[in-house]
Amino acid sequence: MEMVNRPYAAAFEAYAVQHPEVLCLSADLTSSCEIDGFRDRHPDQFLSLGMAEQNMLSFAGGLGLAGFRPFLHSFGVFLYRRPYDQLMASVAYPRRKVRLMGFLPGVTTPGGMTHQAIEDISVMRTIPNMTVLEAGDATEVESIVAEADRVDGPVYCRILRGAVPRLFDTPIRIGQMRVLAEGEDVLVVTAGITTEEAIRARGALARAGVSVRHLHLNTLKPFDAAQIVDHAASVRHGVITLENHLVTGGIGSMVAEALAEAGLARRLIRLGLQDTYAHGGSRPYLMKHYGMDALSLVRAVERLTGQATGIDEDALGAVRIDAVHSIVKAEAL
Amino acid sequence: MHMNDKIPLIREKALWMRRTAFAMVHRAQLGHPGGDFSAIDILATLYFGVMRFDPKRPDWPDRDRFVMSKGHATGALYTALCAAGYFPEDWLATYMQPRSLLNGHPNRNYLPGIETNTGPLGHGFPVATGIAIAGQLAGAGYRTFVLTGDGEQQEGSNWEAAMVAGHRRLSNLTLIIDRNRLQQGAGTEETSGLDPLDKRYDAFGFDVTEVDGHDPAALLAVLGAAPGSKPRCVIANTTKGKGVSFMENVASWHHGVPNDAQFEQAMKELV
Repeated sequence: MEMVNRPYAAAFEAYAVQHPEVLCLSADLTSSCEIDGFRDRHPDQFLSLGMAEQNMLSFAGGLGLAGFRPFLHSFGVFLYRRPYDQLMASVAYPRRKVRLMGFLPGVTTPGGMTHQAIEDISVMRTIPNMTVLEAGDATEVESIVAEADRVDGPVYCRILRGAVPRLFDTPIRIGQMRVLAEGEDVLVVTAGITTEEAIRARGALARAGVSVRHLHLNTLKPFDAAQIVDHAASVRHGVITLENHLVTGGIGSMVAEALAEAGLARRLIRLGLQDTYAHGGSRPYLMKHYGMDALSLVRAVERLTGQATGIDEDALGAVRIDAVHSIVKAEAL
Repeated sequence: MHMNDKIPLIREKALWMRRTAFAMVHRAQLGHPGGDFSAIDILATLYFGVMRFDPKRPDWPDRDRFVMSKGHATGALYTALCAAGYFPEDWLATYMQPRSLLNGHPNRNYLPGIETNTGPLGHGFPVATGIAIAGQLAGAGYRTFVLTGDGEQQEGSNWEAAMVAGHRRLSNLTLIIDRNRLQQGAGTEETSGLDPLDKRYDAFGFDVTEVDGHDPAALLAVLGAAPGSKPRCVIANTTKGKGVSFMENVASWHHGVPNDAQFEQAMKELV
């Protein structure tokens, strides 16, 4: 498994230098969002007006009105929690071409509740005119820059930073989910870092005789409900969603809405944060603690099929693809 | 006891806090030591020279309140609370480990002595303003102190709080600004300048005093003085990374972490 170091940094710079109407905005999380090199090499295309997110959202609206396409870089939480009203009135309603690059989605930060974007999908997908994307590997992080910039309106992206595994060899395309496996027992729907967990689980599940149909979502809005329903209809036992987010309002809810509106009766297990804030801690610890890891997925599959697989942590450890992410050490703040 | 009699104790506690906070960061390989070190003398002065509190009764209604708005500087806050007796010293070794109560940002549901969760900047001062208004409404005698970073002053919420505090003449409120002139990525004045900070707070209705934020005597004189007729703003001129030669005034120590050699060097200097 190839690990790519700071894929966003190189991809953003390569794209932005070709598009002078793209501006790079930071609210003093410049190195934390991997744009410190860009700031140093392209100061005329970079704006940091300090830690002032409400102001940043509104002046981004102004830049958009004047024909620029600002890329806003911050931790995901700071792009919607604090400046929500500014986001609605200055950016979303007037459909400005503002690109919101939200780093440290969900439990990928050890910073605790104040820094964990655990309801961002839920919030963002309810905003009219908003597009919501989530990168699940290095290739998607690299290609999300140009893809987001094609959108005629605002876009919110969940971005992975640091060392990111490369799982895919084709770029992200808005509206095109990835069908990673076409099994017939259980449908598993993942996005972002949970896709890697599901890939780990799939190997062990296949050896245990469970055939998984696995969809990776990179476009959360617009949501392709029809395709989800088609896939759900083609499995025997039901559907499991696994998300780095609260199950309320996120992918679990989106799938539930799709199944209900289509009148398709399938059991649905929603894995993710269950109406709780998360502790601070390392990503592997938090994913295990809150039932968002490969083993949690295996147990959910067993609940749907009614059959034990005999898979334990050791069996999953053998297929661990993410060798670089330390088990014990938290990611940087 | 004369106020200045407290100075040796404050210095002793501040030294212990620096050494202990850096050991925590070294062990965890996580933290914000630069901002810990700029704030520690202020916290030591508050807890060992100024504030009324009882660690056995963290909810004591008459306690003076302290809000750590620069919540990322947990090395400073946790060592201060521990030294003040809120929890045992062995808890510090769990800093940022799984199941620890000592998270990267302070959580009032986990630890006694924390008034409110902070971490996202620009929250603590408005919360402290609310606490001070509550004290004013109730006719209570407690005082409220809040420490913000200086870069943090770029968040507009601070100025909304300042307007209210000045308007209501919240004389029971003291805002302390850790003026180390560096934010995470660069200097405050090159990012979005704050000067003249004293004139700005004066215009908002505060009694403004500038002090050396590493001098307990100077801090005691202003923080320990009886409330006047207006809210007080103390601009504490500090040095990010204060006390360790290779960290002082280096922005990257905002969330830099020491290797073993750097840790040993720092322990030699922090004596």
